Amino acid sequence: MTGRRWLRGLRARLLVAFLTVTVLGAAAAAWASARSASTALVDGEQRRISETIVGQVRTVTPQLAYPPDRPALDRLRTVVGEDTVVGYRGLRSADGAETRLVTPALRSAVRARGRTVTQRITAADGRPWLLVGMPIVRTAPNGARTPSGIELYAVRSLGGVEVQIDDLSRSAARTVALTLPLAALLALVAARSVLRPVRELRDTARRLADGDLDARTSPGGADEVAQLTVTINEMADAIQTSMTEMQRMQADAERFVADVSHELRTPLSTLTAVTSVLAIAADGADPDAREAVELAIAETDRLVRLVEDLIEVSRFDAGTAVRREEPVDVVAAVRDCLGARGWADQVDLVAPDAPVVRLDRRRLDVIVANLVGNALRHGGPPVRVEVTATPQELQIAVTDGGPGLPADVAERVFDRFYKADAARARTPGSGLGLSIARENARLHRGELTAGNAAGGGARFVLRLPRDQGSEAAPCTPPTSSPAPEDR
Amino acid sequence: MRRVGLVVLCLLLAGCGVQPSAPQDAGDAPTGVARGITLYFVDSRGALRPDVRPTGRLGTISEALALLLTGPGDSSLHTEIAASTTQVGTVTTARAIQLRVPLSIREVTPKGIDQIVCTALGVHVQGGGSRRTRIQLLFTTAPASASAMLRTCPLTD
Repeated sequence: MTGRRWLRGLRARLLVAFLTVTVLGAAAAAWASARSASTALVDGEQRRISETIVGQVRTVTPQLAYPPDRPALDRLRTVVGEDTVVGYRGLRSADGAETRLVTPALRSAVRARGRTVTQRITAADGRPWLLVGMPIVRTAPNGARTPSGIELYAVRSLGGVEVQIDDLSRSAARTVALTLPLAALLALVAARSVLRPVRELRDTARRLADGDLDARTSPGGADEVAQLTVTINEMADAIQTSMTEMQRMQADAERFVADVSHELRTPLSTLTAVTSVLAIAADGADPDAREAVELAIAETDRLVRLVEDLIEVSRFDAGTAVRREEPVDVVAAVRDCLGARGWADQVDLVAPDAPVVRLDRRRLDVIVANLVGNALRHGGPPVRVEVTATPQELQIAVTDGGPGLPADVAERVFDRFYKADAARARTPGSGLGLSIARENARLHRGELTAGNAAGGGARFVLRLPRDQGSEAAPCTPPTSSPAPEDR
Repeated sequence: MRRVGLVVLCLLLAGCGVQPSAPQDAGDAPTGVARGITLYFVDSRGALRPDVRPTGRLGTISEALALLLTGPGDSSLHTEIAASTTQVGTVTTARAIQLRVPLSIREVTPKGIDQIVCTALGVHVQGGGSRRTRIQLLFTTAPASASAMLRTCPLTD
C-alpha cells in the first residue's frame, strides 16, 4: 500500500517516466544499430561463403569430365571442402554429417531458378547454419546457358558470426544499462527543481490556512509554478485586505455599541432617580396614574439592565474583561446568589461537597443568576442546582422541570438576543444573559453547555477547571472609552 | 510500465541473433562444364564453322588454340593459319585476353585471325567469362596497330 502511494508521488512518477523513456530510446537506438550491424555481418559472411564456393567450383569445372563419373564428382566435392554433397542424375557424392540439413525448399529453389541460392537455418540444437546450393550450368559459345544436371550443396556454420552478433548485442545492452543511472540522476534533479517550488507553495498555503496572512512565496523563474506562486500571492493579498477591512468594521461596530451604552447610562441614572420620586408621588394618585408610573419604573429598570448587559458584552468583545480571583466557598456563594434574588425557596440546592475554588466571585454570581433566572422564567419547577467537585473540576448543573430544549434551540441558546419562542418576544430578560454567562465561563477557561436532563427538563452545565493557572485573564489595555467596572 | 519496458527489451535482444531465412538468390551459378572444345575452321564457301572436338571437358584457351593450330584433320573444313608450333601464351587482363601466337601476321589471313579470336572467346565464354571481353593478338612480327587492336568474334558478337 505504501509502495503504491509512493508510486503516486510526483518524484516517483517523474523518475519512472524518465527511466522508461530513456531505456526505450536507448534500447531502440542500440537495437537498430546492433540489428543493422548484425545484418551486415551476416550478409557479408553469407556472400563470402557463397562466392568462395562458386570460385572453387569454377577452378575445377573446365577440367571436369562431362558427363561426370563418380571420381569426377568426388574431385569436385573435395575441392569445395567438407559438408558438401554433389549429385548428377543418379550419382551422388556426399561428405560430412551436416549435409542432411539441406532443405527441400533449397533444392527446389536451385532447380527452379538455375542460380546460386543460399538459405539460413537454425539446427535443432540452436546452432545457425548457412546452406549454399547451386546448379552447374553449361554455357554455349554464344552465351546461352543450359543446366548441366550437376548440383552442389554445401553446409557452412554461421557460429562465428553469431558469436560476433552476441557480442554486439551484449555491448548494446551494457550501453543501455549504463544510461540508467545517468537518467535516474537527471530525473531526480528535474524532480527536485519541480518539487522544491511546489513544496514552498504548500508551506505557504498551510501558513495562510493557519491564519498567517503575511505568508508569501517569492516566485522564481517564469514557469507555470512561478505563475501559480504569483496567483497565490495575489489571493493572499486579497484575503488579507478583506480580513483587515472586516476586522476594522467589527471593531467599529463594537466600539459603537460600547459608546452608545455609556452615553445611555447617564440619562438612565437621571431617569431612575426621577422614577423613584414619581413612585413616591404616585402613592396618592388615582389608580390609572399609579399603573402608568409603575409601568414606567419597570421599563426603566429593564432598560438599565439592558444597558449594563450591553456594556458587559462590549467589554468581552473588546477583551478588557478582567478576572479578579479570590478563594471562594462555591456553595456559600451560590446560596448567597439565590438568597439575594429571593429564589431560595423556589430552588433546590444540592451540594454534597463544599469546594473552595479560586475564581471571580462576582462572575460566578452572574453565571448562576443567569442560569437560575433563565430556568425559572422559561422552564418550570422544580429548579435544581447541583454543585459537585472533583480535584480537577468544579461542576454546577442547573436543571428545571420544563419541557426541555428542542435540538435546534440547544445549539443557539447562547446567541445574543436569541428568543426560543418568537411569540413571547417581550420577556423581563435582556436577551444577553446566557451569552454573558458563557463568556464568563470562558473567562475562567471553563465551558457552559446546554442540553436536556434525563427527566426531560433543560439542563445547563457549567464546568470550571479548579486549577486556573498562574496566567492572568486576558487583560489587553482598553483601546477606547475605558469602561469602569460597575457594581 | 516497467514490465512493458522489460518485454520490449527482451524482444529487441531476441531479434538480434542469426535469423533463419527463406532461400535467397546469391548470384550466377558456376559454369564451365562442356562435352568438348569448340574450334572454328573455314568451310569450302569461306565461312567460319564451329567444330566440336569431344574431349569430354572444356579445358583452357591454350589447349583449345593448340588444337586449332594443329589443324582440322581429315574433314571438309580447312584452316587459314599456317602450320607452326602450337604453343600459345595467354594473359588475361581486365579488358582483354592477350594471346601471344607463334605466327607472323603474314602467316594468317583475316579469316584465320577470326578463327583464333572465336575459338579463344568461345572457351572464355563457356568457362563463365564475359561475352564483352576482347581479344588482343600479339604476332611475332606485325605493325603496332595490329598488335594493339582489340578484336571480337564476328559469329558471336
